[in-house]
Formats: sequence, structure tokens, C-alpha cells
Amino acid sequence: MIIKVVLMTNVKVLLIGGGAREHAIAEALVRSNFEPKLYALMDVKNPGIKRLVEKSGGEIVQGKSKDPNLAAEVAGKFSVDFAFIGPEEPLFHGVCDAIEDVTGIPCVGARQKPAQIEQSKAFMRRLMWKHNVGGRLRFKAFLTVQDAIDYIDEYAESVAIKPARQAGGKGVKVIADVQAYLSDEKKAVKEKHAQAVFEEHMKPYDDIEDRILIEERVEGPEYTAQCFTDGNIVEVMPLVQDAKHAFEEDIGPETGGMGCISGKDGVLPFITAEEKEGSIKIVQQLINAVEKEVGEKYKGIVAGQMMLTDAWGPTIIECYSRFGDPEGTSVLPLLKTDLVEISEAIIGEKLHKINFEWEDRATVVKCIAPKGYPRRRNLAKDHPIAVDIKEIENLGGRVYFGSVSEENGQLLTKGSRAVEIWTDGENIVEASRKAESCIPYVKTLDGWGLFHRKDIGSPELLKKRIELGELQRECFKYRKAKGLVGRRIDWIPGKGKLEYVS
Amino acid sequence: MVGIFGMYAFDENWEIARFVYFGILGCQNRGQENAGIATFDGEKLCRFADKGMVEEAFKNDEIFKGLPGWCGIGGVSAFTAENNNFIPPMFSERGNVAVSMNGKIINCKEIDPQLSEKTHGDMKIVANLLEKSLEKNDSVNAMKEVMEKIRGAYSLVALNKKGDMIIARDPHGIRPLVIGGHGFDLGVISSESAALDVTGSDLSRDVKPGEIFVFEPHSIEKDDQTFKNRNTHYCAFEWVYYARPDSIINDIHVHEVRYKIGEILAKENPVEGVDVVIAVPETAFPFAMAYSKVTGIPIDLGFVRTGRHLRTAIKPTQIERIIGVQLKLNPIRNAVRGRKVVLIDDSVVRGSTLRNTVYLLKKRGAKEVHVRIGSPHLIAPCPFGLDVPSQDELIAKHNTEEEIAQIVGADTFAYLSIKGLCKAIGMPQEKLCLGCFREKYPVYDY
Repeated sequence: MIIKVVLMTNVKVLLIGGGAREHAIAEALVRSNFEPKLYALMDVKNPGIKRLVEKSGGEIVQGKSKDPNLAAEVAGKFSVDFAFIGPEEPLFHGVCDAIEDVTGIPCVGARQKPAQIEQSKAFMRRLMWKHNVGGRLRFKAFLTVQDAIDYIDEYAESVAIKPARQAGGKGVKVIADVQAYLSDEKKAVKEKHAQAVFEEHMKPYDDIEDRILIEERVEGPEYTAQCFTDGNIVEVMPLVQDAKHAFEEDIGPETGGMGCISGKDGVLPFITAEEKEGSIKIVQQLINAVEKEVGEKYKGIVAGQMMLTDAWGPTIIECYSRFGDPEGTSVLPLLKTDLVEISEAIIGEKLHKINFEWEDRATVVKCIAPKGYPRRRNLAKDHPIAVDIKEIENLGGRVYFGSVSEENGQLLTKGSRAVEIWTDGENIVEASRKAESCIPYVKTLDGWGLFHRKDIGSPELLKKRIELGELQRECFKYRKAKGLVGRRIDWIPGKGKLEYVS
Repeated sequence: MVGIFGMYAFDENWEIARFVYFGILGCQNRGQENAGIATFDGEKLCRFADKGMVEEAFKNDEIFKGLPGWCGIGGVSAFTAENNNFIPPMFSERGNVAVSMNGKIINCKEIDPQLSEKTHGDMKIVANLLEKSLEKNDSVNAMKEVMEKIRGAYSLVALNKKGDMIIARDPHGIRPLVIGGHGFDLGVISSESAALDVTGSDLSRDVKPGEIFVFEPHSIEKDDQTFKNRNTHYCAFEWVYYARPDSIINDIHVHEVRYKIGEILAKENPVEGVDVVIAVPETAFPFAMAYSKVTGIPIDLGFVRTGRHLRTAIKPTQIERIIGVQLKLNPIRNAVRGRKVVLIDDSVVRGSTLRNTVYLLKKRGAKEVHVRIGSPHLIAPCPFGLDVPSQDELIAKHNTEEEIAQIVGADTFAYLSIKGLCKAIGMPQEKLCLGCFREKYPVYDY
């Protein structure tokens, strides 16, 4: 395999993917000193990316972004210097492998095998246990629905039930089963959900064997540690927390994220620098483990969807093989270092030579979604929408287009979060207020309702997160002092002591 | 008084009735005469209600089979109901809406003179208004329209046949109401946060005075603008007596208020040379704990209960209250014999149960009994749904502290001051409703 060396002038970059995250990546790429020509392959015409591509003198190809042959063909056709892959599905389908192996053009993005750390949740969990990566949760993977239901039937406990394969963040159900008097009701839901995972969420996928994953449920504040990696070292970005519940006050169904916050100094008000270090260590261990396991280096973006738990301290809940969406949108505007240079360093395994610089600002991202999202996306689809970018920019906000498409000169919603508003400030609360002032400038033209979460970045919600963080931290400290990290001791009457060591 | 509860699943896989059952069980302190649940299963509204405590009313599994669906509301109430149809949650006239409401609408005579005569007739009136308004409005606007017509204190949760759960709190916020969530699946509403704990839910916050929420299958709608910026008048009696000590009412921990009341009571009304502090179970325990801590007088366990826990002050008849007290309060002899006792209680309504209690202590050999009350004198009825009898039945309206001491047979007798109460709650007088203590009610400005 011959990999081209990136030329320093007349740089051409192919961006794959067409969501808000890719819009943010595109923006970071085009502000490079190399003034790259940007090319894009995306499923629907993202108006934001389209504007940037046109301005840079590049071209857009509309087509299946996860089709490896198409991706290789497009990369070859424009003879780009490298490709930057935004979403996870192209990685799972071997888009990087195809581009690199067929055209010799290098990619920023994990190849198919290492990308399994996101694609297969069972693979990731087994990897962690095999290679002793910290923050391991107990789990069981199932091939048949009956086995899963039998397991649920026997063990009434708090669990997360997930499709064994990453399915666009859908199909995850976390059930706290603490009150014994409500256990039957919860068991019924767990079983119905296990069935649904098989029938709805896993049906489209035959690229992995496991079907369903049942994990122990843990509690604590969540945060995302996104990293650049050249396969050797990981370089962490400012920590971000996204808000998973669809509705305000942390109520309602799980979404891909309704927005997020990031604080100054690269940490969050409820996560310490030490905990950040612990998180990076876990991601680094994962990267090393995956290379040992599949024999290929992991190059590109990797992110730990983390939680501060009492059992482990920093614990990995999910692993992303790409920027989070909206978490990527949070940090990319803060990146002062040239993204083309970083990309080159990832490809050339020289990440240690890059001096990373970030704007030291707090940020807030608020996602605006049409009503119907997340559970009835068909209702949320095809509503004309208008965004007054100028007004929003006047107010200090930035607009990133997500699930919208430009069709016949009109912007139409596509069922998911349509627009992301990014703002910054001296602190999170200030950034949030600024974002709120921008919200009225996004409207549907057919009267269909839009919603967003006002409370993201509010003092009340921050206070709650800080309290939760402190609670978990105290419990973890106790466990650490008693030598109980990763251990679980039980005493069964009549049988005696039983210890589970993770 | 009424305890209300509602739970709403955003995923139709849930059967909600059991959750509502435990939710209203968590509100049992607010009413022990009737219990009811209504659910919606996508097609019809179902309802079951009966006399008795929650566990008596919902005595078998068969009842739950008749309550299918993923969203439900419930209620417990303290009044003797006219008939089964007047137990909350109540159906509207044509059965398209079910409403569980805590509080009292004061202008119902103007709206429906006939219904206004009945116990909880105001709840039925609200259900009817909502049903009518829903014919031409969406849920938020229907609730808004109803709120423009009604005056008084109300926290309510309603269900309609579209699968909407409608939630509202009156613009003065007199009665409490909290909102919370349960994982990624459920939204929860309750009079008190303790019921959220019981169902394993997480408290988000208080529903703000005048705020409307609507849980819909695909969204949560909200109106916190139409009735905002009205003066709040939180009911002070919630902290003194009604709410559970493990609840947080209007962002203030109930137990903390009760503890502070005890401290202030000790400073306002000290007693010299006494031997022991004893609480009338159970509300007065934190008052007595703090009283003892501040004065250094040891606290002792004075009474043991027989039978189940009853809230005697909210029993509907005098004979029931006396029976309740007698069963509730069997004095422990050597805790009181030969001792000078400070007896702490939460409130005095008619004085009859207190007289009985003081008598029991003296009969068991207490040398002196000094009564201290953890609330100010109760001199006026409550137009907002608190179960205070008419003025001629209120001992404090007609007697001084000195006279009450003589009537109940105590050596001394003293109330907490209104100022002391406000201090314990941590709010200025004008933010509270102190109507039953001051005979002056908040002015409606809406």
C-alpha cells in the first residue's frame, strides 16, 4: 500500500458525511492556512457544507457516503490529498480501507477493523476485559432473543439494554431497577425492549454476530473525551457534556444529544483535571489494545463517552470512532491549531510534534429539532425551515446545519436535529444565554413545532451535575481508600462470601 | 386536602398503573379517606376509585387489570366523598377528561352553583371546563383558558383522550407541585417530591406558580409566560404539618424547616426547670429534637402507637379523631412519671385531642406538662382546600394561650410566633399564605 505524502500547497481535502458535525469539521478545515479546496461526499445536500465547499473552489458529490467504492472513486476523481471521514457508518463499511487501498489516498478516520470499537459494543467490552483496560462494566452479549429474555427473567437488576452494534445511537434503554415493588413492571419493559432491539434496531445489520448487549447500569455525570490519535498517542480535546434527554429538566426519551456544554481550561465544572487524565488513560489503553487485537493502527478521531461512577471513577460507557455529534461542534470552533496540519500528523504518525492550541472559552451548543424527534422521525421530516444566519452571527452565535437538506432552493428538515447553534462565553451560563437569544431566528415555514432545551447550560442544571459529580466522587474515594475499585463483594446467606473481580 | 400524582411514559411499552399506585401511596399523608387512579391506553380512559387508604382501595390485582395504559394519574383525598364519582381523579361530565386536583376553587358558585355545593365539586367543575375547552383548543391553550376563568388554589394533573397529560399550578403557587423524570422513559408529577423517591424517579424541580406543562406522546409543551410574575403565596401549613418530612416543598426541605421551628420555639418560649421533652407523634418529632438540642433538656420517647399510622388531624369526624389519638398515643410510663414535661405538638385545631393527650400524660404521673406548639395560633378557616373547620370550632379564635392552658389542663401553653414561622421557612411574610394564622388572605391579582 502506497500512501501519498500530503503536499503543503494546493491542498485538496475530501470530507465524507453531511451532518452538523461535518459542517463544523468543514469549517475547521477551510480556515486552515493552506486554504484547502474542500470536496464533499454526502447523502443529502447540507447547505452549510455546500456553502463552504463552493467558497473554497471545491465540489460536492451527492451520494451514499457509506459506499466504499463510491468514496474511493470520488477521492480518486478529484485526486485529493487526504479524506476526512465524519460519521461512523462509512468507517464501519470500510470507506477508509477502500480509499487507502484502492487510490493510495490517506484518510483521517479509523479503518474498518479498528472501527469495531464503536461498531460492535460486545467487541469493545471484550477488548477491555482481555487487555485490562480500566473502567470495565460487566456485560453479557446474546445471539438470540430467548437467551436475552431468559437472562432478564433470572436477574432482576438495573441494566442497560443495547443493540450489540452501534445503530445511530438508537435502541439503548437504561432501566434502574431498584424498588423491588416495581420490579415486575420493569422486567416486562426490559423484555419488550429486548424483543424490540432484535426486531427493529438490529434487523438492518448483519455485519456482526452478537445481537444484544446487557450491561450493568451505572450512575454519574456523563462527559465526552474526544481525542485525535495517530495510533500511537492520543491528544485530548476540551471535555464536553451533551444532554441526552429530549426534553427540559432531563425528562423524556434518549436522543443523540440535544446540545452540549464545555468549560474553560478544557474541563467541566463537575469533572476535575485528574479525572480528565484518568479518562485519557483509558482511551489510550483502548487504542493500544485495539492495535494488538486487529493488527492495524487506529488513526483518526476516537472518543470515550465517559461517566464518573462510584465503582471506577472515570468509566467508559460507549466508544466513538469519530467526533460526537453535537460534541464535535462544541470544540472544533475553539481549535486554533491548523486542522490540515493535524490531519497530516495523524496520517504521518507525528501527532507528538503538534503543539495544540485551543481558545480558552466556555461553549454551549443547542440543537433545534422538529417535533416528532426522536421517536417519530417520520413526523419530524420534510418541514420547510428558515434560518436567519446573519442575525444569529450578529448575536455572536454560529449556525451548523444538521438534519436538513437543500432541495429546490428550500431547506427541508430530515427527521433529526435540524440545526445546531454554537455560542461561547466567559462561562457556560453566559454562553447559554447567548444561545437562547439566537433560537428565535430558526423557524419552520409550515408552522410545525420546533423544540430545543432551554436548560442546557442553565445554573440550575449545572448545580445538579456538580452535586451528582460530588456524590460519585465521594463514593469512589471511599472505594479507592478501601481497595474496592473494580471489586464487588457479596455475602450470600447459607453460601458465604462471593467476590467478583473486574 | 388531596395528594396528586401522575406518571407518563414516552414509550408505550410501559404499564403505568402500579407506578401510580406507589406514587399515591407516597402521598398518603395528604389524604386517607379515598384513593383513585385513572389511566389512558391509547383508546379509552379507565378509572378505579374507592374509599379507604390506598392499600385498602386497591386491594387486589384484578383492579390493576382494569387500568391498562402507559400514562396515568392518581389521587388520595381527605374528605368523605359524596359518592364514588367524586373521588379524585374525577371524570368530566362526558368522560373525556380525568382530573386530580389539590386545592380549592373559590369562584365555583359563579360557574356551576349546583356542583359547587358538593364536596370536591370544584374538581368536577374544572374537569368540565377543561373538557369543553379541549373541544376547540390544544391542551396548553385549553388549560390556559380554564385558568383565566378559575380563582383559587390549585395544583392539578389531568388526562385527556389524546394521550396528553395536562399539568398546572395556580398563579400564586399556594399548593405544591413538583415535576421529575424516571430514566429516559417516564415523566412524573406529584404533590410532593417524596412520592418521586418512592417510585424511583428523580426530582427535577417545582412546577412554577402559574406554569402549565403538557406531556404529549412526542413532546413536552410548556407555558410559563401567561401567568408569570404574580405574587407567590406558598401555603405555610405545608411545611408545618401537611408535607412529608422527606419532601422538598418549593425548593425548601420540609425537615429542615421543622427542625428550625423547634429551635425558634425553644428561644421564643423557654421553660425553666423541666426534665424532659416529649413529642406528640409523628409530625412533631423534629420540633422536639431541635427544642431539646437548643435547651439541653433531654428528649425521650413518650408514646407508642397501636395499629397503623393515621393522620389524626385530618380525620373527618370528632369521634374518629379521638379514637385515632387514643390509639396513637399510649404513653410510656417511666418516660413521664414524676417528670416535668415539655410536650411538643405541631398544631392545635379544636384542642380536644390535645386535652386528651395532656390528660394521658398526667394520668401516667407527669408532674408538670408545658405545651409548646410548632405553629402559630390557628384562628381562621382556609378557603384554599386546607381542612380547617369553621371559625366557631377553632380554640385559638376564642381563647388566649392562658385560657387554652386551663382548658387542656396544661401548666403552660405557647404557640410559635408568625414571625418565627416565616424565619424557619426562610421566606418573607408576603411570599407566604398565612391566612389561617392571620385571618388575612392573599389578594388575588389575576
